Amino acid sequence: MLGGVVFKLRDLGLMKLTGSMVIHVRGKGHLNRPRIRNPHWFLRKKLSNIGELTTSDNKVFINQLVRENYNEADVSNNLKVYEQNLMKTEASISSPSIVISQNRRCGTIARKIGEYPLWLNNGEKIRTTLLQIIDNHIISYIPPEKYSPAHYPNVKNVNKFGCLLVGAGTINPTWLTKEYCGIFHESRVMPKKMLARFLVSPEAALHPGTALNVAHYRVGEFVDVRGKTIDYGFQGVVKRFGFKGMPASHGVTKTHRRVGNIGGGGEKGRVWPGTKMPGRMGSRWRINKGLQVLRTYLKYNVMWVQGSAVPGPTGGIVYLYDTILPHRKKKISSIASLSYENIDKVTDDIWSEKLHRFKDIRMTHKNE
Amino acid sequence: MNVSTRFLINRLGKQCAFNRIVTYSTKSTEHAAANAVETEKEPKIKETTASTASEASIPIRKPVIPANYRFIYPEFLPDPKIEWRNPIREKLERMDMLDRRRQIDLPEFYVGSIMAVTSSDPHAEGKVSRFVGICIHRDRCGLRARFILRNVIDHQGIEVIYELYDPTIQKVEVLRLEKRLDDSLFYLRDALPEYSTFDENMEAEQLEEGAPVPVNDIKVVLRPRPWLERWERQNLRGVANIDQYLKDKHRQSARRVQKPWEKYDLMKQYRATIPEEEQNEIFAEVYAELHAQELQRKRNKRKRTFVKPKQLA
Repeated sequence: MLGGVVFKLRDLGLMKLTGSMVIHVRGKGHLNRPRIRNPHWFLRKKLSNIGELTTSDNKVFINQLVRENYNEADVSNNLKVYEQNLMKTEASISSPSIVISQNRRCGTIARKIGEYPLWLNNGEKIRTTLLQIIDNHIISYIPPEKYSPAHYPNVKNVNKFGCLLVGAGTINPTWLTKEYCGIFHESRVMPKKMLARFLVSPEAALHPGTALNVAHYRVGEFVDVRGKTIDYGFQGVVKRFGFKGMPASHGVTKTHRRVGNIGGGGEKGRVWPGTKMPGRMGSRWRINKGLQVLRTYLKYNVMWVQGSAVPGPTGGIVYLYDTILPHRKKKISSIASLSYENIDKVTDDIWSEKLHRFKDIRMTHKNE
Repeated sequence: MNVSTRFLINRLGKQCAFNRIVTYSTKSTEHAAANAVETEKEPKIKETTASTASEASIPIRKPVIPANYRFIYPEFLPDPKIEWRNPIREKLERMDMLDRRRQIDLPEFYVGSIMAVTSSDPHAEGKVSRFVGICIHRDRCGLRARFILRNVIDHQGIEVIYELYDPTIQKVEVLRLEKRLDDSLFYLRDALPEYSTFDENMEAEQLEEGAPVPVNDIKVVLRPRPWLERWERQNLRGVANIDQYLKDKHRQSARRVQKPWEKYDLMKQYRATIPEEEQNEIFAEVYAELHAQELQRKRNKRKRTFVKPKQLA
């Protein structure tokens, strides 16, 4: 209160009068109080009343307006040449063909659409998960010098990376607030349902409006998949941690699926932190690292990834990154390998060499 | 005449009202009976519809996709669990299945058919193994589709699980195309061995073209207890002597776990099946390819010289 008064006085240029005044500061809490600085794209997204007050004529008019405004940008599968859209940043001009094993490329937003088996050339059956890259566009790029998030991600040399904002899944802009639609003004794409930021090296920065599709990944590369695991709700210890429980009979009463003992006595006579107990199971962000891309289908923007342990349910959203595992990372790759030539419609179904294609003749084990 | 047509149309309507049929049901007799009824009535219905059409001049669209496709190709219907469904994944899966079917002839077969599967096996002599047996079970959808063959070899019951779309499979032959009274024949494991013994050198029996798939109404004789499952609880139709080994307590407990009301549970049925409209969509997509393959199969069949089939098993 007092401070406020002082500021007001200062504003009025009356500071001289209060020169001898002593301002009491009671505690330092106000100094290190964390300031919430959300990213600039954290905005209220949906309108509270969607078209309740508009007449049918007006609705027609609005839809027409939307179609006119977002005509050309609303192309989900446009195959722009990737190289052309690489930004001419200072870093890329000064060192055009450096080895980019240290470089970070942009990631993508995908949907897990299911799993089914594929067979290897040696007859082994493997499980694969299908990930569909849904209508990804670059929304904006923040260079490293301007990017200062409130909470830095736990990444080495984080100040060297810029930030690419990627949107996925087109949504009707009439449902959205004006400020949310404003995010997409620079890139001139339709407003997106989902947004995600990816840290990238300045060499791998992309122009806003660039479409990302499954050609972003080559068959044989490894990806990290981040997603939210299935929410099982509040679960007991048998389901949550796989405890054995107790026998069904032999005198056991009321303690068939219970925890049992949770700690010792004496000096350690307390519940230790991290003790496994009942609680909320699932619904946590998890990263499954080092999954190999086995097959890509450009027409439907789908990629097959080895394994069936991609976090989240079928239909869930996952984020794809180039893997950080040192042995599975791309070893030698120049900036040039970031570019993707236009892929013909004929070869839009690309298989890994170790897979047996269903189109091939049946497989035989040969005599050695 | 008018009255009779109305009557017929009513009856037809009643038949068609039962739209949803369980994906894997091969309850052969009922279907066979229904088919027979349909085939009997078809000419009459055609006449009547033609007459009504001429009166009302409405073009009648003939359904292109045969109604029995859901029994011949059950694996083309996806898993009805809603959480697992995705139209794009299903489409891609169907494309892969057709790609595989272009490479290998996967004939029509049912639970109860006697089949021979030749597959590439790294551990077998000559790297190829051929197994003859009766198909006792068929399940899963899409590329996961599989079936179990059973035979008794050297007094030892053998079962092999084959995946239908496994590329190591070289050849699938149906030696005797027939159905049994039940949806799965796991009770053969507890039956006397002669009921699941089939000759390895059995020759394929040819069915007449266009003839309905015969239903083998053989009743299997079970061994005495202990059994692998409680067969008395499963309402089996293909078992002869199940009552012989039951005590009163077994009958009572079997009665207790029966759920006779479930056949009236429409929601349960809806969740466990793919609706007919969707089935039609799916089969419309793959019909051209499958039909072409069927025609090719028929042509190949005609080329074969006729050999009098020998009853061996």
